[in-house]
Amino acid sequence: MPGERIPVVEGLFTEDDGGARLLGSRCAACGTPYFPRSDRCRHPDCSGTQIEDAVFGPFGTLWSYSVQNYPPPAPASYDEPYHPYALAVVDLADGLRVVGRLIDDASTLRVGAPVELVLAPLCHEDDGSALITWMFRTR
Amino acid sequence: MRDVAVLGVGMHPWGKFADRSVTDLCRVAVGAALEDAGVSWRDVEAVAAASSRFSGGKGWGLNGNDVVEDMGSTGIPVYNLSAGCAAGGNAFNVGYSLVAGGLHDVVLVVGGEKMPKGFIQTSGVEEETDPEYLRQRCVGMTGPAFWALLCRRRMEELGTTEQHLAMVAVKAHKVGMHNPYARFRKEFTIGDVLGSNMVSDPLRLFEICPVSDGAAAVVICSAAKARRLTTNPIWIAGSAVATARFDDGMPRGLAGMVPSGGTIHSEAASAVGKALGQAGASPEDLDLVELQDNTVYYELAFPEDWGLCKPGEAERLLEKGETLPTGKMPINPSGGFLCFGEATTAMGVFQVCELTWQLRGVAGARQVPEARLGLAQTLGLGGNGTAVVLKR
Repeated sequence: MPGERIPVVEGLFTEDDGGARLLGSRCAACGTPYFPRSDRCRHPDCSGTQIEDAVFGPFGTLWSYSVQNYPPPAPASYDEPYHPYALAVVDLADGLRVVGRLIDDASTLRVGAPVELVLAPLCHEDDGSALITWMFRTR
Repeated sequence: MRDVAVLGVGMHPWGKFADRSVTDLCRVAVGAALEDAGVSWRDVEAVAAASSRFSGGKGWGLNGNDVVEDMGSTGIPVYNLSAGCAAGGNAFNVGYSLVAGGLHDVVLVVGGEKMPKGFIQTSGVEEETDPEYLRQRCVGMTGPAFWALLCRRRMEELGTTEQHLAMVAVKAHKVGMHNPYARFRKEFTIGDVLGSNMVSDPLRLFEICPVSDGAAAVVICSAAKARRLTTNPIWIAGSAVATARFDDGMPRGLAGMVPSGGTIHSEAASAVGKALGQAGASPEDLDLVELQDNTVYYELAFPEDWGLCKPGEAERLLEKGETLPTGKMPINPSGGFLCFGEATTAMGVFQVCELTWQLRGVAGARQVPEARLGLAQTLGLGGNGTAVVLKR
């Protein structure tokens, strides 16, 4: 229904008083971060057997950016009419390099810019509810 | 390991062929390769084929079986290899291994493809455990956007300009226009390229490859057989397959760790390093390279990754014309993916055809003078990389 916010995929992100967070894992032995969650460490040189839930974000820096000027094929989705969106690779302060959309206009972006995670609508369903995903915005 | 030779090569031209099936395209390529090799279909002991997700193969990637049924079912073994856009290179490596390992004397390697229009789509599998599904569903990042992210980073680190990117495309068409198998045989100016639509900033339409239909085939054989059948064998000095390393700097799914090193195309670099090692060759020994230029960015980044030149030097070599067939570091004298368009699984086989013609000295107006040692490279979804070194 209008105003309702539904995660596009369950279990990938959350929001608390400090802002948006990605839900992942971290190896207790070698510290390797995982997003989405992993049930084990896959680092080929790590023999650790313990992995812990971890949250990542919200702050990071822009490693690179681009723009999706043309509508992407399914399973990507967007509201009509299509508006190009910026894309990013972001280094989060806690050691995770992650991809996502940017809510900024690409013409204002620069590599190395400080960014933060937000949860924002990817598109809207017929009943007006919003499908939410993680995105970035410059700070 | 036995020495292995390329005995014959053949291609169907690249383009869009609405009225022909992928089997039709493969028949032309295979027929030409057999004729070039001077052998008959009955002489072929096994087939290593690239598996297509888009055409033929009974929907299961059984494209080698299609070829065998079409040519005449002789009962020979067929290997169908899937490695995304690296499938043609992967099939070549398996074919090579079958001959080098002594299992067969004459093997056909084939890749054929008819591509649907537009952006290459994901598999259609909607599983939330599939990183590729999650990346498209939650973010929406097409192939060109992935390349553009890498390219933007290079521009920031090494000062590559939009002009440099356009120059790579101009160079590709300057040589590719002489290739009768290329789809786009037209010279472009810097203005044409910079005037083409921006697909994913900073990459424009003429700086990425479209999708095409095409097919290529190669007959390879043991050294003993080659000496009986030809006076002009081309030798496979190295053939390698690799996958991306855990510490690769570009996330292939949603995320990775922030790497301590700088490697971001590790599957390609690993395969090339292994193939050069097998050949006992250094990067500077190479007379030409056919690399996977889905985008102009790769033509700048890869030679540096592989030690053909220093980081940041690719643009200087390009400006001086050194990547032309007549230059010091010839890259993609065929015209590459930019002039052919990508018939995904056929590309690794097409590259071997071009190297063979170059090393035989029969490449006409795009010939690299005195070509003796050449490298071909592919990479594909899943972190697959392949490399081949051929010598005469």
